[in-house]
Amino acid sequence: MTSLSEIQFHLVDDNDIDIAVNTKLLQLAQISPSIFSYSSAGSFLEKIAENTDAFLTSTNVVLLDIMMPNINGFECLERLSQLPEDLQSHILVFMLSSSIDRNDIRRAESFPMVQKVLEKPLDIYSLKKSLEGILEE
Amino acid sequence: MNEKIGILYLDDEEQNLLSFQALFRRDFQVFTTTSAQEAITILNNNPIRIIFSDQKMPEVSGVEFFETILHDFPSAVRILITGYADMEAVIDAINKGQVYRYVTKPWEPNDLKICVENALEKFRKDEEIITKNKELEIANSELEKFVYSASHDLRAPLVSIKGIINVARMEQLDPKATQYLDMIERSTNKLNDFVSNIINYYQNNQSDELQEEINFTTLAEEIFSRYEHYEGAERIAFRKDITQTSPFKSDEHRIRMVLNNLISNAIKFSDLKKSQCLIDLQIIQNKEKALIKVADNGVGISPDVLPGIFEMFHSGANKNIGSGIGLYIARQAVRKLNGNISASSEQGKGTRFTFEIPNKA
Repeated sequence: MTSLSEIQFHLVDDNDIDIAVNTKLLQLAQISPSIFSYSSAGSFLEKIAENTDAFLTSTNVVLLDIMMPNINGFECLERLSQLPEDLQSHILVFMLSSSIDRNDIRRAESFPMVQKVLEKPLDIYSLKKSLEGILEE
Repeated sequence: MNEKIGILYLDDEEQNLLSFQALFRRDFQVFTTTSAQEAITILNNNPIRIIFSDQKMPEVSGVEFFETILHDFPSAVRILITGYADMEAVIDAINKGQVYRYVTKPWEPNDLKICVENALEKFRKDEEIITKNKELEIANSELEKFVYSASHDLRAPLVSIKGIINVARMEQLDPKATQYLDMIERSTNKLNDFVSNIINYYQNNQSDELQEEINFTTLAEEIFSRYEHYEGAERIAFRKDITQTSPFKSDEHRIRMVLNNLISNAIKFSDLKKSQCLIDLQIIQNKEKALIKVADNGVGISPDVLPGIFEMFHSGANKNIGSGIGLYIARQAVRKLNGNISASSEQGKGTRFTFEIPNKA
C-alpha cells in the first residue's frame, strides 16, 4: 500500500496563480514533498513520454484543469487513456474546474482514471480525504 | 416584388379554370388543373401561396384534397369553392383548420379578388411571425451563450482569489492582515455567489430535466460538508433528519441547487445574538413525493417583505448580503421539477422553507 507521502503530484494548469496556490496548499498540508507543475497539457504528456519508468514505479496524482488552450483537460484525458494499461494504472486524475458543469462531470467520469471532478478553489482537506480513501482500497 | 406570386386552382370544370386564368393572370402566376394528382406536382415544383379548390369533383373532394396536402404545404392559404349543398363539409373543414375561407359557387370575380387579397395578407402575417420567431430564437440563444461564457470568465479569476485567500490563511499572519483578508473574502464570496447564481439561472433554463436515482442521506451529507468551511458556519449546528422509504428519482442537480441556496441563506441570516444557531434539514420521502424543509433560528423575515422573496431582484433583503436572485432561481428550479416551494417566518425567531417535489421513480 502506498502512503500519501510517496505520491507524486502533477499540477497541470495554464493559470500560474492557481499553480502557485495549489502547490503552496499541498506543501502546507504536508501531504507529499513531490510536486511537479506544468503550464500546459502538452508539457505534461511529454514528461510522461520521457520518464515512463518514473511513472511506472510511483503513484501519480494529476490535478488537471479542464479549461486550457491548445490541449484542454478532456483532450489530455483522451491521450492519457491511449497509454499502455499498466502505465495508466499508476495515474489517478482529479479534474479541476472553476465552474462545474454537469455535462463536464458526466464526460469526465466516463474515463476510468478520473477519480473526481473538483471545483476550484481546491479544497485541500477533501482532496486529502479522497486520496486516503483511494489508497486504502 | 419582381416575381409574381403563385396561385393554384383545382377544379374539374375547364370553363371555370379559364375564367380564373383571365381574372388573375395579370397580377399573379396562375396554375390551373383538373387533376388533384397534377395539383400536387405543381405544388412540389412551384412556390404556391394560395390554393383554391372546388369541393365537388369526381375523384376527390376539395376537403379531401386539402387534407392530403396539409402536412407538406402547411403555409399555403387554402380556399374552398363550393355550392350551398355542401355546407356541412365546409363547416367541418373550417373548424378543423384545413380551410381559411370558402367562396360560394358560382363565384363572382370581385368576391374572388377580395378573397385573394385577404389570403395574401394572412400569408404575409404568418411569414412575418415565423421570421420574427426565428430572429428571437437566435437572439435568445446568443444572449444565453454570452451570459454563460461571461460568467465562466468572471468565475476563473474569482476562484483564484479565493485560492490565494485559502493559502494565506494557512500562513502565520498578524491579526490586522487576517482582518483585511476576512474583508476581501467576504466581498469575493458575495461576487462569487452572484456569478454562481447567474450560471445556475442559465443552467436551469437550458438543460432538460434529468431523472436519476437520488440518495437523500448522501446528498445531505455532501451539502453540509460543503458549508463546514463557510464563513460563519463554525457557530452553527447543522442537523438533519432524513426518512427515505423507497427509491426516488428526480433531477439531483436542481435539488442541490435549491438546497444550496436555502442553506447558504440560512447561514447568511443567522442570528448572532443567539447562543446556538441552528439549521435543520428535514427530508421525508415516499413513493409519491419528497417533502423537504430547511428551518433556521435566524433573524427571520419581516411580514411586509415575506410575500415577495421569490421575485427576481427583490429588494427587501439586506442589500449587503444577498444579490436578490437566489430564491428566484430556487423557485424556478422547483417549478421545473413540477414542485412547489413556500416560506414562513417570524422575525427574531427564524425562517422555514418547505418544498415538495414529485417522485419520478
